[in-house]
Amino acid sequence: MTADMFWTLASGVPWTIGLTAVSLLIGVLLGIPLCALRMSRILALNLAAQAVILTLRAIPPIVWLFFIFFGLGSSVIELSPFQAGAVGLGLITAANMAEIYRGAMTAIHPGQWEAAHALGFTTWHRFADVIAPQLFRVALPTAAGYAIGLLKDTAIASTIGVAEVAFQASHVSQRSFRGLDVYAFAGLLYILLSLPIAWAARWADLHLRARVAR
Amino acid sequence: MSQRASSSTDPRFAPLPPLLTLEAVGKTFGSHVVLDGIDLRLAPGEVVAIIGPSGSGKSTLLRCINQLEPPTSGRVTLGGTVIEAGHTPGRRELMNLRRAVGMVFQSFNLFPHLTVLRNVSIAQERVMKRSRAEADKISMQLLARVGLADKAQQYPSRCSGGQQQRIAIARALALEPQIMLFDEPTSALDPELGLEVLAVMRELAENGMTMIVVTHEMHFAEEVSDRVIIMADGKIVEQGVSRDVMRNPQTERARRFLHAVKDR
Amino acid sequence: MTDLLDFWIEHLPSLLDGLWVSLAVTGASLAFGIPLGLVLALAVQGKSKILRSLAITVVEVGRGAPALILLQFVYFGLPNAGLALDSFPSAVIALAWCTGAYTSEIIRAGLEAVPHGQREAATAIGLTGLDALRFVVLPQALRVSVPALLGFAILMLQASSLCFAIALPELVSQAYLIGSTTFRYMAILVLAGLLYAAICIPATIAVAALERRLGKHA
Repeated sequence: MTADMFWTLASGVPWTIGLTAVSLLIGVLLGIPLCALRMSRILALNLAAQAVILTLRAIPPIVWLFFIFFGLGSSVIELSPFQAGAVGLGLITAANMAEIYRGAMTAIHPGQWEAAHALGFTTWHRFADVIAPQLFRVALPTAAGYAIGLLKDTAIASTIGVAEVAFQASHVSQRSFRGLDVYAFAGLLYILLSLPIAWAARWADLHLRARVAR
Repeated sequence: MSQRASSSTDPRFAPLPPLLTLEAVGKTFGSHVVLDGIDLRLAPGEVVAIIGPSGSGKSTLLRCINQLEPPTSGRVTLGGTVIEAGHTPGRRELMNLRRAVGMVFQSFNLFPHLTVLRNVSIAQERVMKRSRAEADKISMQLLARVGLADKAQQYPSRCSGGQQQRIAIARALALEPQIMLFDEPTSALDPELGLEVLAVMRELAENGMTMIVVTHEMHFAEEVSDRVIIMADGKIVEQGVSRDVMRNPQTERARRFLHAVKDR
Repeated sequence: MTDLLDFWIEHLPSLLDGLWVSLAVTGASLAFGIPLGLVLALAVQGKSKILRSLAITVVEVGRGAPALILLQFVYFGLPNAGLALDSFPSAVIALAWCTGAYTSEIIRAGLEAVPHGQREAATAIGLTGLDALRFVVLPQALRVSVPALLGFAILMLQASSLCFAIALPELVSQAYLIGSTTFRYMAILVLAGLLYAAICIPATIAVAALERRLGKHA
């Protein structure tokens, strides 16, 4: 592999990281109201949230990206490839984060809610002071695992023309006819990019475990 | 050590050539000594109870006999099979040994995905190369012997703890072992259910089965076994005729243990 | 509205052809991938150091690299090494690799869930290591792994959509083709999405129900 090819591939890295970060941010934030609706006692809201989550998760990301980029893009609202990718992956992430939050909620011992009640906390304080820190702590490993999966899923955005690593790889491979080393290197790049997420998650997990356990 | 502790040389306790001999068997995990130079001879038909505080190495001793835990020193001889610590035994030697030794575990360890009948017959098919029909026929006889023929087609989870342990005994008997090892067979059971297991064990003993029983049942140790061994800290601290050892222990360590147990 | 329905009715057959290819490639990938996962799970726990490092590498690359890159590596890359394959076998190789890597972790968790006493009992009644694995440990481990494996199979059907990138005429490729000739991307992609949803949503609900039922009995 030539230096030129290396730098072309590397030029995709900021786009891969950017798309992962933006989609994750959308998902982490949008997942909160979605999870709240999913756990709502009002049946209609609950069912609507369930339907949204199931649908977002049941249809492959590539279909969502095509739908947003080619479908909506040709008739409703024109988005750049990056915007379309971020919206599509962000929505899918929101559905998955909502389920991760819900899993974490059920993992918290019911005694914690009762204790917060008994101590006379208001609902907000109950949530902010007692539940939220534990929730964050329980959800973190799963969420980090999901973030690594998301990093890999951003490769799908190459099909709508986001200039990230997979896009550059197919570009370089077509020009040079050296798919073997180009794709091997691209695969390695994704593995290398996921390592810091895994390390950060492990560090945060240990750090939080020490704090919450105290 | 007391007079009686060296009684393995006493002809009374080894009237026939021994079936099982342990010579200076030791087991260490890292720097932790679990068994320290155990010598033991068992005559055919003899029933030995091993008692002692938890962590004294009783279960490990049983596991060293059938090599579930390979000893780190010493020698185990059973029938014609000799296994020396340090030399990895051959496949054939291990197979012979395990066929000759039946083992019953504290937590039964029945195979939950197999019917009661399959639990008893699987080793006959795979190890003894019996046909399925023959294995099933013998298994039914064994289940009848432990009083559970009607459970043959059930899964173990549908049986009580006492029934499961009796099935486990039938499973061990299926290989026609020369010796049976029991690792606290009633410890996981309510006293009432323990009694039905002890009854089966008593029947085995009366019919001449050679047995080593690690137990907390002092009554069983005194009434059913021929000989009692008291272990502490990986060593045999006292052994002898059951009634003598239980009623009139000679060593301080044995006295302390029996005292503690009887107070309970 | 009738216009949309007419459009859908007209193009449904080609989408169903595509769906059939999606299901076939998914089925073939699972059929090769899950046994591979079992072998990898055993090799990762095995005694041989060389085998262990090899298995770990296969698993880490299969899980670490995006499925899309694996597909392109096999389809566009392997010809450089003298191995030029059609898109279907390429897809099966890449997705089976991915399946093997992920399911090896699922099966390993299943193996670890079998209590140690089961192996001890199997050894004590004289079963050889292989027999103990075959008759005692594996049946129990696989039973524990079933819900997770089924959940993974659903993900694999979705991942088969990535074969669009290597010109396999599966569901998304068909939809894209129709979209690019009729310029009605939205309409055809909605139909494609409905087809995926029609399979994946009931399957997801069924797996969750199975998981709850098994959980209750465990």
